[in-house]
Amino acid sequence: MCRTHKLLSVLFMLGLITILRPSSAYAVCVQTGASTAEQDLWNTHGCWQAYFLWSYKAYDQRQSDWNNRGWNDACNVNLEFPKHWNATYLVTYGLADENCCSWHGTIDYRQLAEAPSSNFHSSLYHTARDDSCCFGSFNPKVSGPDELATHCLLYNPSATNSNPASRAGDFMHEGWHGWLRKYSWNNGSCGGHRCGPLGNCTATGCDYFYFHGVGAYAFGALYQTDGTANRFHSPNQVQVEFLCDVADYPKAWVPASVRQKAKADADARAVARFINGPGYKCGGPRPW
Amino acid sequence: MALVTRVMNIAGLVAILALLPVAESILAVEQEEKPPSTTMPGGQPPSIILGERLQRKPPELVGVGEVAKKNALTFLEWASGAPKQQDGLVRELLAGARENLDISRAFCEEAFRTQTEDDTRALIALALLGEMRSPHTEECLMKFVEQPLPDKGTVVEGEILEQNSLAMLQAKAVDGLAYLRSPRADEFVLKTAAQHPSRIVRAEAIAAYLWNNQYSKEAREMLRRLVRQEEQIFIDRVVKETGEPKESFNRKLQDYLNAHPEVRPPTPDKAPDKPQPSIGPPPGF
Repeated sequence: MCRTHKLLSVLFMLGLITILRPSSAYAVCVQTGASTAEQDLWNTHGCWQAYFLWSYKAYDQRQSDWNNRGWNDACNVNLEFPKHWNATYLVTYGLADENCCSWHGTIDYRQLAEAPSSNFHSSLYHTARDDSCCFGSFNPKVSGPDELATHCLLYNPSATNSNPASRAGDFMHEGWHGWLRKYSWNNGSCGGHRCGPLGNCTATGCDYFYFHGVGAYAFGALYQTDGTANRFHSPNQVQVEFLCDVADYPKAWVPASVRQKAKADADARAVARFINGPGYKCGGPRPW
Repeated sequence: MALVTRVMNIAGLVAILALLPVAESILAVEQEEKPPSTTMPGGQPPSIILGERLQRKPPELVGVGEVAKKNALTFLEWASGAPKQQDGLVRELLAGARENLDISRAFCEEAFRTQTEDDTRALIALALLGEMRSPHTEECLMKFVEQPLPDKGTVVEGEILEQNSLAMLQAKAVDGLAYLRSPRADEFVLKTAAQHPSRIVRAEAIAAYLWNNQYSKEAREMLRRLVRQEEQIFIDRVVKETGEPKESFNRKLQDYLNAHPEVRPPTPDKAPDKPQPSIGPPPGF
Protein backbone atom coordinates (compact mmCIF):
# COMPACT_ATOMS: atom_id res chain seq x y z
CA MET A 1 0.00 0.00 0.00
CA CYS A 2 2.86 2.28 0.95
CA ARG A 3 4.67 1.47 -2.32
CA THR A 4 1.49 1.97 -4.32
CA HIS A 5 0.98 5.28 -2.63
CA LYS A 6 4.50 6.31 -3.53
CA LEU A 7 4.08 5.22 -7.14
CA LEU A 8 0.85 7.14 -7.43
CA SER A 9 2.51 10.21 -5.95
CA VAL A 10 5.31 9.99 -8.49
CA LEU A 11 2.91 9.59 -11.39
CA PHE A 12 0.81 12.47 -10.12
CA MET A 13 3.87 14.73 -9.85
CA LEU A 14 5.02 13.64 -13.28
CA GLY A 15 1.68 14.48 -14.74
CA LEU A 16 1.63 17.85 -13.04
CA ILE A 17 5.09 18.72 -14.27
CA THR A 18 4.26 17.71 -17.82
CA ILE A 19 1.20 19.94 -17.83
CA LEU A 20 2.87 22.92 -16.17
CA ARG A 21 6.22 22.93 -17.94
CA PRO A 22 6.58 25.64 -20.58
CA SER A 23 5.09 24.62 -23.87
CA SER A 24 7.45 24.20 -26.76
CA ALA A 25 4.84 25.85 -29.06
CA TYR A 26 5.44 29.59 -29.64
CA ALA A 27 2.96 32.46 -29.54
CA VAL A 28 1.36 33.88 -32.67
CA CYS A 29 -0.03 37.25 -33.66
CA VAL A 30 -3.71 38.13 -33.38
CA GLN A 31 -5.36 35.86 -35.92
CA THR A 32 -8.95 37.01 -35.68
CA GLY A 33 -9.23 39.39 -38.60
CA ALA A 34 -7.75 41.52 -41.35
CA SER A 35 -7.88 45.23 -42.02
CA THR A 36 -9.98 46.73 -44.79
CA ALA A 37 -6.90 47.39 -46.94
CA GLU A 38 -5.79 43.78 -46.45
CA GLN A 39 -9.17 42.45 -47.48
CA ASP A 40 -9.50 44.80 -50.44
CA LEU A 41 -6.18 43.69 -51.90
CA TRP A 42 -7.02 40.07 -51.16
CA ASN A 43 -10.25 40.46 -53.11
CA THR A 44 -8.29 41.32 -56.25
CA HIS A 45 -6.85 37.78 -56.36
CA GLY A 46 -9.24 35.76 -54.18
CA CYS A 47 -6.37 33.54 -53.01
CA TRP A 48 -4.13 32.81 -55.95
CA GLN A 49 -2.57 29.47 -55.15
CA ALA A 50 -0.05 29.42 -57.98
CA TYR A 51 1.24 32.70 -56.61
CA PHE A 52 1.75 31.71 -53.00
CA LEU A 53 3.47 28.51 -54.14
CA TRP A 54 5.98 30.78 -55.87
CA SER A 55 6.16 33.46 -53.18
CA TYR A 56 7.25 31.20 -50.32
CA LYS A 57 10.26 30.12 -52.38
CA ALA A 58 11.08 33.65 -53.53
CA TYR A 59 11.07 34.83 -49.92
CA ASP A 60 12.63 31.64 -48.54
CA GLN A 61 9.94 31.01 -45.99
CA ARG A 62 10.24 27.78 -44.06
CA GLN A 63 7.40 25.68 -42.76
CA SER A 64 8.98 25.47 -39.31
CA ASP A 65 8.77 29.26 -38.98
CA TRP A 66 5.24 29.67 -40.31
CA ASN A 67 3.59 26.41 -39.30
CA ASN A 68 0.98 27.79 -36.95
CA ARG A 69 0.75 31.05 -38.85
CA GLY A 70 -1.18 29.79 -41.82
CA TRP A 71 1.31 27.60 -43.67
CA ASN A 72 -1.36 24.94 -44.14
CA ASP A 73 -4.20 27.43 -44.24
CA ALA A 74 -2.72 29.69 -46.89
CA CYS A 75 -6.05 31.13 -48.02
CA ASN A 76 -7.09 32.36 -44.60
CA VAL A 77 -6.40 36.09 -44.76
CA ASN A 78 -6.57 36.39 -40.96
CA LEU A 79 -3.25 34.58 -40.58
CA GLU A 80 0.31 35.79 -40.90
CA PHE A 81 1.52 33.69 -43.83
CA PRO A 82 -1.39 34.70 -46.12
CA LYS A 83 -0.91 38.34 -45.06
CA HIS A 84 2.78 38.04 -45.91
CA TRP A 85 2.16 36.82 -49.43
CA ASN A 86 -0.64 39.36 -49.88
CA ALA A 87 2.08 41.99 -49.40
CA THR A 88 4.56 40.26 -51.71
CA TYR A 89 1.83 40.14 -54.35
CA LEU A 90 1.65 43.93 -54.13
CA VAL A 91 5.42 44.17 -54.61
CA THR A 92 5.47 41.70 -57.51
CA TYR A 93 2.55 43.05 -59.51
CA GLY A 94 1.31 46.29 -58.00
CA LEU A 95 3.61 48.99 -59.35
CA ALA A 96 3.28 50.78 -62.65
CA ASP A 97 7.01 51.57 -63.06
CA GLU A 98 6.48 54.91 -64.74
CA ASN A 99 9.73 56.17 -66.22
CA CYS A 100 8.49 59.71 -65.93
CA CYS A 101 7.61 59.63 -62.34
CA SER A 102 8.25 56.53 -60.19
CA TRP A 103 11.12 56.65 -57.75
CA HIS A 104 12.24 53.12 -58.47
CA GLY A 105 11.03 50.05 -60.25
CA THR A 106 9.62 46.66 -59.41
CA ILE A 107 12.99 45.21 -60.39
CA ASP A 108 14.54 47.15 -57.49
CA TYR A 109 11.89 46.49 -54.90
CA ARG A 110 11.65 42.80 -55.68
CA GLN A 111 15.38 42.25 -55.39
CA LEU A 112 15.43 44.21 -52.17
CA ALA A 113 12.62 42.23 -50.57
CA GLU A 114 13.20 38.76 -51.99
CA ALA A 115 15.54 36.19 -50.52
CA PRO A 116 18.24 35.49 -53.08
CA SER A 117 21.62 37.12 -52.87
CA SER A 118 21.83 40.03 -55.29
CA ASN A 119 23.36 43.46 -55.74
CA PHE A 120 21.03 44.50 -52.91
CA HIS A 121 21.95 42.13 -50.09
CA SER A 122 23.34 38.72 -49.27
CA SER A 123 20.83 35.91 -49.14
CA LEU A 124 18.10 36.18 -46.54
CA TYR A 125 14.99 34.37 -45.38
CA HIS A 126 11.70 35.70 -44.08
CA THR A 127 10.21 34.85 -40.70
CA ALA A 128 7.53 36.22 -38.41
CA ARG A 129 8.17 37.25 -34.82
CA ASP A 130 5.89 38.18 -31.94
CA ASP A 131 8.12 40.79 -30.35
CA SER A 132 6.33 44.14 -30.24
CA CYS A 133 9.61 46.03 -30.15
CA CYS A 134 9.29 46.97 -33.74
CA PHE A 135 7.55 46.43 -37.03
CA GLY A 136 10.37 44.34 -38.40
CA SER A 137 13.97 43.44 -37.83
CA PHE A 138 17.01 42.43 -39.82
CA ASN A 139 19.00 39.79 -37.98
CA PRO A 140 22.33 38.93 -39.60
CA LYS A 141 23.61 35.41 -39.05
CA VAL A 142 27.19 34.25 -38.69
CA SER A 143 26.59 31.55 -41.28
CA GLY A 144 23.78 30.96 -43.71
CA PRO A 145 21.21 33.48 -44.87
CA ASP A 146 20.35 36.51 -42.76
CA GLU A 147 16.90 36.73 -41.23
CA LEU A 148 14.35 39.33 -42.20
CA ALA A 149 11.60 39.19 -39.62
CA THR A 150 8.26 40.93 -39.73
CA HIS A 151 6.60 41.35 -36.35
CA CYS A 152 3.03 41.19 -35.11
CA LEU A 153 2.55 44.94 -35.40
CA LEU A 154 2.39 44.30 -39.14
CA TYR A 155 -0.16 41.49 -38.76
CA ASN A 156 -2.50 42.27 -35.85
CA PRO A 157 -5.73 43.41 -37.55
CA SER A 158 -6.27 46.58 -35.54
CA ALA A 159 -2.65 47.74 -35.76
CA THR A 160 -2.27 50.75 -37.99
CA ASN A 161 0.54 49.17 -40.04
CA SER A 162 -1.32 45.92 -40.58
CA ASN A 163 -1.90 46.52 -44.25
CA PRO A 164 -0.12 45.18 -47.33
CA ALA A 165 1.61 48.44 -48.30
CA SER A 166 3.08 49.08 -44.85
CA ARG A 167 4.15 45.45 -44.55
CA ALA A 168 5.83 45.54 -47.94
CA GLY A 169 7.37 48.87 -46.99
CA ASP A 170 8.97 47.12 -44.08
CA PHE A 171 10.41 44.47 -46.40
CA MET A 172 12.18 47.36 -48.14
CA HIS A 173 13.33 48.92 -44.89
CA GLU A 174 14.76 45.71 -43.46
CA GLY A 175 16.14 44.66 -46.84
CA TRP A 176 18.04 47.94 -46.91
CA HIS A 177 19.71 47.05 -43.62
CA GLY A 178 20.91 44.05 -45.61
CA TRP A 179 22.31 46.40 -48.23
CA LEU A 180 24.11 48.44 -45.57
CA ARG A 181 25.64 45.27 -44.19
CA LYS A 182 26.65 43.90 -47.58
CA TYR A 183 28.54 47.05 -48.46
CA SER A 184 29.81 47.78 -44.93
CA TRP A 185 28.04 51.08 -44.30
CA ASN A 186 27.47 52.33 -40.80
CA ASN A 187 24.01 53.83 -40.40
CA GLY A 188 24.20 54.16 -36.63
CA SER A 189 24.16 52.20 -33.43
CA CYS A 190 20.46 52.29 -32.55
CA GLY A 191 19.21 49.23 -34.35
CA GLY A 192 21.04 50.29 -37.51
CA HIS A 193 19.88 53.88 -37.25
CA ARG A 194 21.24 57.05 -35.67
CA CYS A 195 20.09 57.44 -32.11
CA GLY A 196 17.31 59.98 -31.77
CA PRO A 197 15.53 62.19 -31.32
CA LEU A 198 17.98 64.15 -33.45
CA GLY A 199 17.53 67.21 -35.66
CA ASN A 200 14.11 66.99 -37.26
CA CYS A 201 13.72 63.34 -36.37
CA THR A 202 11.42 62.75 -33.43
CA ALA A 203 11.81 58.97 -33.21
CA THR A 204 14.51 57.05 -31.35
CA GLY A 205 15.93 55.61 -34.57
CA CYS A 206 16.73 58.25 -37.18
CA ASP A 207 18.05 58.40 -40.73
CA TYR A 208 19.18 61.01 -43.19
CA PHE A 209 17.15 61.64 -46.31
CA TYR A 210 19.51 61.56 -49.29
CA PHE A 211 17.41 63.68 -51.64
CA HIS A 212 17.55 62.78 -55.31
CA GLY A 213 15.55 63.69 -58.39
CA VAL A 214 13.12 61.52 -60.31
CA GLY A 215 15.05 59.50 -62.84
CA ALA A 216 18.35 59.81 -60.94
CA TYR A 217 18.33 56.04 -60.63
CA ALA A 218 17.50 53.90 -63.64
CA PHE A 219 15.20 51.04 -62.73
CA GLY A 220 17.41 48.30 -61.35
CA ALA A 221 20.05 50.71 -60.07
CA LEU A 222 18.70 51.53 -56.63
CA TYR A 223 21.59 49.60 -55.08
CA GLN A 224 24.17 51.96 -56.57
CA THR A 225 26.18 54.43 -54.57
CA ASP A 226 29.25 56.52 -55.32
CA GLY A 227 30.08 56.71 -51.63
CA THR A 228 28.82 60.25 -51.27
CA ALA A 229 25.57 61.70 -50.04
CA ASN A 230 24.69 62.51 -53.66
CA ARG A 231 23.98 58.89 -54.45
CA PHE A 232 22.90 57.02 -51.34
CA HIS A 233 19.78 55.82 -49.50
CA SER A 234 18.77 55.08 -45.95
CA PRO A 235 16.29 52.41 -44.79
CA ASN A 236 13.50 54.84 -43.94
CA GLN A 237 14.02 56.68 -47.21
CA VAL A 238 13.70 53.54 -49.33
CA GLN A 239 10.56 52.72 -47.37
CA VAL A 240 9.05 56.17 -48.00
CA GLU A 241 9.91 56.04 -51.71
CA PHE A 242 8.33 52.60 -52.06
CA LEU A 243 5.18 53.72 -50.24
CA CYS A 244 4.98 56.81 -52.45
CA ASP A 245 5.27 54.66 -55.56
CA VAL A 246 2.40 52.49 -54.31
CA ALA A 247 0.31 55.56 -53.51
CA ASP A 248 1.01 57.55 -56.67
CA TYR A 249 2.08 55.13 -59.40
CA PRO A 250 0.42 51.82 -58.79
CA LYS A 251 -1.06 49.58 -61.42
CA ALA A 252 -4.55 50.72 -62.26
CA TRP A 253 -6.20 47.89 -60.32
CA VAL A 254 -4.67 48.58 -56.90
CA PRO A 255 -7.50 49.36 -54.48
CA ALA A 256 -8.02 52.83 -53.06
CA SER A 257 -7.63 51.67 -49.46
CA VAL A 258 -4.18 50.23 -50.17
CA ARG A 259 -3.11 53.48 -51.84
CA GLN A 260 -4.55 55.70 -49.12
CA LYS A 261 -2.78 53.74 -46.36
CA ALA A 262 0.49 53.81 -48.31
CA LYS A 263 0.26 57.58 -48.61
CA ALA A 264 -0.62 58.07 -44.95
CA ASP A 265 2.29 55.89 -43.85
CA ALA A 266 4.74 57.61 -46.20
CA ASP A 267 3.71 61.10 -45.14
CA ALA A 268 3.85 60.27 -41.42
CA ARG A 269 7.27 58.67 -41.73
CA ALA A 270 8.62 61.50 -43.87
CA VAL A 271 7.94 64.11 -41.19
CA ALA A 272 9.16 62.10 -38.21
CA ARG A 273 12.09 59.87 -39.15
CA PHE A 274 14.62 62.11 -40.81
CA ILE A 275 17.32 64.18 -39.16
CA ASN A 276 17.34 66.55 -42.14
CA GLY A 277 13.64 66.17 -42.76
CA PRO A 278 10.99 66.52 -43.76
CA GLY A 279 11.29 64.13 -46.66
CA TYR A 280 9.19 64.64 -49.78
CA LYS A 281 5.44 64.66 -49.49
CA CYS A 282 3.88 62.14 -51.83
CA GLY A 283 0.98 63.42 -53.85
CA GLY A 284 -1.17 66.43 -53.19
CA PRO A 285 -3.53 66.75 -50.23
CA ARG A 286 -6.75 66.30 -52.15
CA PRO A 287 -8.88 63.99 -49.98
CA TRP A 288 -9.64 61.39 -52.68
CA MET B 1 14.42 6.48 6.57
CA ALA B 2 11.34 8.44 5.61
CA LEU B 3 13.59 11.39 4.83
CA VAL B 4 15.86 9.26 2.65
CA THR B 5 12.84 7.93 0.79
CA ARG B 6 11.57 11.44 0.21
CA VAL B 7 14.95 12.62 -1.07
CA MET B 8 15.14 9.64 -3.42
CA ASN B 9 11.65 10.41 -4.71
CA ILE B 10 12.61 14.01 -5.41
CA ALA B 11 15.83 12.96 -7.13
CA GLY B 12 13.86 10.55 -9.26
CA LEU B 13 11.45 13.31 -10.28
CA VAL B 14 14.30 15.63 -11.16
CA ALA B 15 15.88 12.92 -13.30
CA ILE B 16 12.59 12.30 -15.10
CA LEU B 17 12.14 16.03 -15.68
CA ALA B 18 15.62 16.32 -17.12
CA LEU B 19 15.05 13.39 -19.44
CA LEU B 20 11.70 14.63 -20.79
CA PRO B 21 13.12 16.84 -23.58
CA VAL B 22 15.47 14.08 -24.64
CA ALA B 23 12.60 11.61 -24.77
CA GLU B 24 10.55 14.09 -26.76
CA SER B 25 13.25 14.54 -29.36
CA ILE B 26 13.86 10.80 -29.65
CA LEU B 27 10.20 10.12 -30.10
CA ALA B 28 9.53 13.03 -32.44
CA VAL B 29 9.27 12.07 -36.06
CA GLU B 30 11.46 14.36 -38.13
CA GLN B 31 9.09 16.29 -40.42
CA GLU B 32 10.14 17.04 -43.94
CA GLU B 33 9.30 20.60 -44.86
CA LYS B 34 6.33 20.68 -47.17
CA PRO B 35 5.08 23.55 -49.32
CA PRO B 36 2.22 25.69 -48.02
CA SER B 37 -1.26 24.43 -48.67
CA THR B 38 -4.92 25.21 -48.31
CA THR B 39 -8.14 23.28 -48.18
CA MET B 40 -10.04 26.08 -49.87
CA PRO B 41 -10.77 25.88 -53.58
CA GLY B 42 -8.58 27.96 -55.84
CA GLY B 43 -9.88 31.31 -57.00
CA GLN B 44 -9.97 32.79 -60.45
CA PRO B 45 -6.93 34.60 -61.80
CA PRO B 46 -6.80 38.30 -60.87
CA SER B 47 -7.40 39.47 -64.45
CA ILE B 48 -10.87 37.84 -64.44
CA ILE B 49 -11.76 39.11 -60.97
CA LEU B 50 -10.76 42.64 -61.90
CA GLY B 51 -12.63 42.53 -65.18
CA GLU B 52 -15.81 41.51 -63.34
CA ARG B 53 -15.39 44.32 -60.85
CA LEU B 54 -15.22 46.95 -63.53
CA GLN B 55 -18.48 45.67 -65.03
CA ARG B 56 -20.37 46.18 -61.76
CA LYS B 57 -22.48 49.29 -61.36
CA PRO B 58 -21.40 51.47 -58.45
CA PRO B 59 -23.85 51.73 -55.53
CA GLU B 60 -26.09 54.77 -55.47
CA LEU B 61 -25.40 57.51 -52.96
CA VAL B 62 -29.01 58.46 -52.37
CA GLY B 63 -31.77 58.21 -49.80
CA VAL B 64 -32.73 59.56 -46.41
CA GLY B 65 -32.48 58.22 -42.87
CA GLU B 66 -31.62 54.56 -42.56
CA VAL B 67 -31.72 54.00 -46.30
CA ALA B 68 -29.10 56.72 -46.78
CA LYS B 69 -26.95 55.18 -44.08
CA LYS B 70 -27.15 51.73 -45.67
CA ASN B 71 -26.35 53.15 -49.10
CA ALA B 72 -23.45 55.19 -47.71
CA LEU B 73 -21.84 52.15 -46.12
CA THR B 74 -22.32 50.08 -49.26
CA PHE B 75 -20.72 52.89 -51.23
CA LEU B 76 -17.83 53.10 -48.74
CA GLU B 77 -17.07 49.40 -49.23
CA TRP B 78 -17.24 49.73 -52.98
CA ALA B 79 -15.05 52.86 -53.03
CA SER B 80 -12.52 51.33 -50.65
CA GLY B 81 -11.81 48.58 -53.14
CA ALA B 82 -12.05 50.83 -56.19
CA PRO B 83 -9.10 50.67 -58.57
CA LYS B 84 -7.28 53.85 -59.52
CA GLN B 85 -9.08 53.96 -62.85
CA GLN B 86 -12.33 54.53 -60.95
CA ASP B 87 -11.07 57.45 -58.84
CA GLY B 88 -12.77 59.93 -61.16
CA LEU B 89 -16.06 58.06 -60.89
CA VAL B 90 -15.89 58.08 -57.08
CA ARG B 91 -15.34 61.84 -57.10
CA GLU B 92 -18.22 62.39 -59.49
CA LEU B 93 -20.62 60.34 -57.37
CA LEU B 94 -19.58 62.14 -54.20
CA ALA B 95 -20.09 65.52 -55.82
CA GLY B 96 -23.60 64.39 -56.73
CA ALA B 97 -24.35 63.64 -53.06
CA ARG B 98 -22.95 66.89 -51.72
CA GLU B 99 -26.28 68.17 -50.41
CA ASN B 100 -27.30 64.91 -48.75
CA LEU B 101 -26.90 65.45 -45.04
CA ASP B 102 -27.75 61.85 -44.15
CA ILE B 103 -25.02 60.49 -46.42
CA SER B 104 -22.36 62.76 -44.93
CA ARG B 105 -23.60 61.94 -41.44
CA ALA B 106 -23.23 58.22 -42.18
CA PHE B 107 -19.61 58.67 -43.33
CA CYS B 108 -18.91 60.77 -40.26
CA GLU B 109 -20.33 58.20 -37.85
CA GLU B 110 -18.42 55.42 -39.58
CA ALA B 111 -15.15 57.32 -39.23
CA PHE B 112 -15.65 57.74 -35.49
CA ARG B 113 -16.92 54.20 -35.04
CA THR B 114 -14.01 52.43 -36.75
CA GLN B 115 -11.07 54.68 -35.96
CA THR B 116 -9.59 52.24 -33.43
CA GLU B 117 -10.64 48.83 -34.66
CA ASP B 118 -9.97 49.35 -38.40
CA ASP B 119 -8.30 52.64 -39.15
CA THR B 120 -8.21 51.91 -42.89
CA ARG B 121 -11.99 52.00 -42.93
CA ALA B 122 -11.99 55.24 -40.96
CA LEU B 123 -9.41 56.69 -43.38
CA ILE B 124 -11.67 55.87 -46.34
CA ALA B 125 -14.71 57.36 -44.58
CA LEU B 126 -12.80 60.59 -43.92
CA ALA B 127 -11.46 60.70 -47.48
CA LEU B 128 -14.99 60.35 -48.86
CA LEU B 129 -16.31 62.95 -46.44
CA GLY B 130 -13.57 65.38 -47.38
CA GLU B 131 -13.98 64.83 -51.09
CA MET B 132 -17.72 65.59 -50.84
CA ARG B 133 -16.70 69.17 -50.16
CA SER B 134 -20.01 69.80 -48.46
CA PRO B 135 -20.72 72.42 -45.80
CA HIS B 136 -22.44 69.60 -43.90
CA THR B 137 -19.07 67.98 -43.29
CA GLU B 138 -17.30 70.90 -41.64
CA GLU B 139 -18.50 70.26 -38.11
CA CYS B 140 -17.70 66.55 -38.21
CA LEU B 141 -14.22 67.04 -39.60
CA MET B 142 -13.39 69.67 -36.99
CA LYS B 143 -14.68 67.47 -34.20
CA PHE B 144 -12.54 64.64 -35.51
CA VAL B 145 -9.38 66.74 -35.55
CA GLU B 146 -10.06 68.05 -32.06
CA GLN B 147 -10.07 64.60 -30.47
CA PRO B 148 -7.25 64.35 -27.95
CA LEU B 149 -4.41 62.02 -28.88
CA PRO B 150 -3.87 58.95 -26.70
CA ASP B 151 -0.96 59.47 -24.35
CA LYS B 152 -0.44 55.76 -23.68
CA GLY B 153 -0.13 52.72 -25.90
CA THR B 154 2.29 50.57 -27.86
CA VAL B 155 5.63 52.32 -28.06
CA VAL B 156 7.79 51.57 -31.07
CA GLU B 157 10.98 53.52 -31.72
CA GLY B 158 9.83 56.27 -29.40
CA GLU B 159 6.40 56.68 -31.00
CA ILE B 160 3.03 55.71 -29.53
CA LEU B 161 1.39 53.80 -32.37
CA GLU B 162 -2.17 54.55 -31.29
CA GLN B 163 -1.27 58.23 -31.31
CA ASN B 164 0.19 57.98 -34.80
CA SER B 165 -2.85 56.10 -36.02
CA LEU B 166 -5.23 58.83 -34.87
CA ALA B 167 -2.90 61.54 -36.13
CA MET B 168 -2.88 60.03 -39.62
CA LEU B 169 -6.67 60.05 -39.59
CA GLN B 170 -6.75 63.62 -38.34
CA ALA B 171 -4.37 64.55 -41.14
CA LYS B 172 -6.91 63.19 -43.61
CA ALA B 173 -9.67 65.16 -41.91
CA VAL B 174 -7.56 68.33 -42.23
CA ASP B 175 -7.27 67.66 -45.97
CA GLY B 176 -11.07 67.71 -46.14
CA LEU B 177 -11.32 70.94 -44.18
CA ALA B 178 -8.76 72.72 -46.35
CA TYR B 179 -10.57 71.45 -49.46
CA LEU B 180 -13.76 73.22 -48.32
CA ARG B 181 -11.96 76.54 -48.80
CA SER B 182 -14.38 78.27 -46.45
CA PRO B 183 -13.25 81.08 -44.15
CA ARG B 184 -14.16 79.13 -41.02
CA ALA B 185 -12.46 75.94 -42.22
CA ASP B 186 -9.36 77.87 -43.34
CA GLU B 187 -9.07 79.50 -39.95
CA PHE B 188 -9.27 76.07 -38.35
CA VAL B 189 -6.64 74.68 -40.70
CA LEU B 190 -4.25 77.52 -39.88
CA LYS B 191 -4.79 77.02 -36.17
CA THR B 192 -4.11 73.31 -36.65
CA ALA B 193 -0.89 74.07 -38.56
CA ALA B 194 0.32 76.10 -35.62
CA GLN B 195 -1.03 74.32 -32.57
CA HIS B 196 -2.03 70.71 -33.12
CA PRO B 197 -0.04 68.44 -30.77
CA SER B 198 1.01 66.07 -33.57
CA ARG B 199 3.59 67.02 -36.15
CA ILE B 200 1.93 64.61 -38.62
CA VAL B 201 -1.22 66.74 -38.46
CA ARG B 202 0.58 70.11 -38.42
CA ALA B 203 2.59 69.10 -41.50
CA GLU B 204 -0.53 68.04 -43.36
CA ALA B 205 -2.34 71.24 -42.41
CA ILE B 206 0.54 73.28 -43.83
CA ALA B 207 0.61 71.25 -47.05
CA ALA B 208 -3.16 71.33 -47.46
CA TYR B 209 -3.44 75.08 -46.86
CA LEU B 210 -0.73 75.78 -49.42
CA TRP B 211 -2.18 73.46 -52.06
CA ASN B 212 -5.68 74.85 -51.70
CA ASN B 213 -4.31 78.38 -51.98
CA GLN B 214 -2.22 77.56 -55.05
CA TYR B 215 1.06 78.02 -53.14
CA SER B 216 0.54 81.78 -53.28
CA LYS B 217 2.87 84.28 -51.69
CA GLU B 218 0.06 85.36 -49.38
CA ALA B 219 -0.56 81.82 -48.21
CA ARG B 220 3.13 81.32 -47.45
CA GLU B 221 3.32 84.56 -45.53
CA MET B 222 0.25 83.70 -43.55
CA LEU B 223 1.84 80.40 -42.55
CA ARG B 224 5.21 81.97 -41.75
CA ARG B 225 3.49 84.15 -39.18
CA LEU B 226 1.84 81.19 -37.46
CA VAL B 227 3.90 78.05 -37.89
CA ARG B 228 6.48 77.07 -35.25
CA GLN B 229 9.98 78.32 -35.86
CA GLU B 230 11.45 74.84 -36.13
CA GLU B 231 8.78 73.88 -38.69
CA GLN B 232 9.11 76.86 -41.01
CA ILE B 233 10.96 74.53 -43.42
CA PHE B 234 7.69 72.61 -43.88
CA ILE B 235 6.34 75.62 -45.76
CA ASP B 236 9.02 75.05 -48.40
CA ARG B 237 8.72 71.26 -48.35
CA VAL B 238 8.92 69.58 -51.74
CA VAL B 239 5.67 67.97 -52.80
CA LYS B 240 5.71 65.31 -55.49
CA GLU B 241 2.36 65.83 -57.17
CA THR B 242 0.79 62.83 -58.85
CA GLY B 243 1.40 63.06 -62.59
CA GLU B 244 3.98 65.84 -62.25
CA PRO B 245 6.67 65.62 -64.95
CA LYS B 246 10.10 64.84 -63.60
CA GLU B 247 11.62 68.05 -64.97
CA SER B 248 9.21 70.10 -62.92
CA PHE B 249 9.77 68.10 -59.75
CA ASN B 250 13.55 68.04 -60.14
CA ARG B 251 13.61 71.80 -60.57
CA LYS B 252 11.57 72.26 -57.38
CA LEU B 253 13.91 69.93 -55.54
CA GLN B 254 16.98 71.83 -56.66
CA ASP B 255 15.41 75.12 -55.58
CA TYR B 256 14.63 73.61 -52.19
CA LEU B 257 18.19 72.32 -51.71
CA ASN B 258 19.62 75.69 -52.77
CA ALA B 259 17.35 77.52 -50.35
CA HIS B 260 18.11 75.05 -47.55
CA PRO B 261 21.73 73.89 -47.74
CA GLU B 262 21.41 72.77 -44.13
CA VAL B 263 19.32 69.77 -45.20
CA ARG B 264 22.10 68.31 -47.32
CA PRO B 265 23.16 65.16 -45.46
CA PRO B 266 26.77 64.47 -44.49
CA THR B 267 28.90 61.92 -46.31
CA PRO B 268 27.84 58.41 -45.31
CA ASP B 269 30.05 56.50 -42.88
CA LYS B 270 31.79 53.27 -43.67
CA ALA B 271 31.58 50.60 -41.00
CA PRO B 272 34.92 50.10 -39.22
CA ASP B 273 37.01 47.19 -40.45
CA LYS B 274 36.59 44.12 -38.31
CA PRO B 275 39.75 43.80 -36.16
CA GLN B 276 42.02 41.00 -37.34
CA PRO B 277 43.08 38.56 -34.60
CA SER B 278 46.62 39.18 -33.45
CA ILE B 279 48.63 36.03 -34.03
CA GLY B 280 52.10 37.20 -33.14
CA PRO B 281 55.40 35.83 -34.47
CA PRO B 282 56.12 32.10 -34.48
CA PRO B 283 58.08 30.63 -31.54
CA GLY B 284 61.86 30.50 -31.75
CA PHE B 285 63.20 27.48 -33.55
